[in-house]
Amino acid sequence: MYRKQVRRRRGILVALIVTSLVLLSAHFSEAESGPLHAIQRGVATVLSPLESVASEALKPGRDFVNWFDETFDARGENAELREQLAAAREELTEQQAAIGENEQFRRLLALDEDILAETSYEPVTGRVIARNPSVVNATIGVNVGSRDGVERDDPVISDDGLVGRVLDVTATSAQVQLITDPRNAVSARVLPEGPQGIVEPVAGNPDELRLDFISNDEEVEAGQILVTAGWSNEEISSAYPYGIQIGEITEVTDGDEELQKITVRAFADMRELQYLQVLTGGPVRPGVDR
Amino acid sequence: MIITWQIGIRLAGIVLLAVVLQVSFFSYLSVLGATPDMLPVVIVILGLLGGAVTGAVAGFATGLIVDSVLLQTLGVSSLVLLSVGYVAGRYRERFEIDSLLAPALLAGGLTLLATAGFTTLQLMLGVEAAVSLLVVREVVVKALLAFLLTFPLYPLLRLVLRPALVLEEPPTRRRIFRNRRGGERLGRRHVRRAGRPRSTEGVV
Repeated sequence: MYRKQVRRRRGILVALIVTSLVLLSAHFSEAESGPLHAIQRGVATVLSPLESVASEALKPGRDFVNWFDETFDARGENAELREQLAAAREELTEQQAAIGENEQFRRLLALDEDILAETSYEPVTGRVIARNPSVVNATIGVNVGSRDGVERDDPVISDDGLVGRVLDVTATSAQVQLITDPRNAVSARVLPEGPQGIVEPVAGNPDELRLDFISNDEEVEAGQILVTAGWSNEEISSAYPYGIQIGEITEVTDGDEELQKITVRAFADMRELQYLQVLTGGPVRPGVDR
Repeated sequence: MIITWQIGIRLAGIVLLAVVLQVSFFSYLSVLGATPDMLPVVIVILGLLGGAVTGAVAGFATGLIVDSVLLQTLGVSSLVLLSVGYVAGRYRERFEIDSLLAPALLAGGLTLLATAGFTTLQLMLGVEAAVSLLVVREVVVKALLAFLLTFPLYPLLRLVLRPALVLEEPPTRRRIFRNRRGGERLGRRHVRRAGRPRSTEGVV
């Protein structure tokens, strides 16, 4: 009897492990339109109203608990100061952008119709309803989906700057991959007339980004601001339009292989996100899946 | 644990509620720089209360739901959580649980392993960015928070699943005492009858 129970228990364990591995393998290699992804989106669609209600109902509790942590860390900032900081930052960005005006005008003249059409983006406001608790994956769920016009790879911004892009979408919700997610990378330009590089996260550290591919010859210093480069050619392009604020350079040191090691602090606080804007529509960008 | 359909519904409700609470509440919190993760804690407790099979199945189901809700690679969370549930269940089948400390320590330890396992799996699935040492700190703090979360969650879940627990004593105000001779359980009334002398005759 006991042996039968042991065999049954082991059988169930093996069956579950094998099922998990099969699911993992199939889901990982399957196309976005595959059946597993469809089932997954179905479950997410069904549960998103529940998440939305729970997220709204539990907000006071979250705020209460986070208040203690913020007080403990001496991180308490009042809304007025934050607004002032945001305004000052915007002003600084505009000033730095104005310095490089000539260069930008020259670029603008060379832009084709697609790039000019970037103003056709239509922002859709969404509320954060879910967060991924993983140490590595930095994704959040928002309560707007395909029925609101949201598509995969749409850029997502907050009032502070770039947040990320839409990773996956259901009818009523979307998963946003934050710029602090290790699978994300953003082509960026250093203002006012600085070089272009790639902003990449440091896995496990949501407060730090790195600007890669800037050679030691380039003059870059702490305090300079990064915006999305909106880089594009006929085959591939960045998912983000030009000019969205990303963050500020905090440290520059000589790195390996003739490249500088540049640390960046994102303007948007990824832990405090509540309302976001998904930039829907916009031009068709070569190589971007939407 | 005796699994009837009513208990099955309660288990499903616990799993669903845990996932919703995790993604809508606990994932927003930042305690000592880490985000509390209640899912491994709940699975450990279900494993401790229901055994290895219950723990593994609950872990697998929880993983599937959380992977679906967060639209991440299916199977990763299932694999990690079913292992956690199974190990907790095996612990319960081998050892007596006579205080809250054992479940709390087990939840802390298994959360540490689960977080490390999940992180490793994710890194293996194609993360090419640099990895900060802060990951280690977050994993350790998560384990500490799981240890603390067990103290309210274990009694709560035990209460919800009480009708299914085989060894659970019925709720009674009568205290149960152990007989000195044979280890037989007796109520207070029995102890009074058997133990107290009827008169003081012969008492030295």
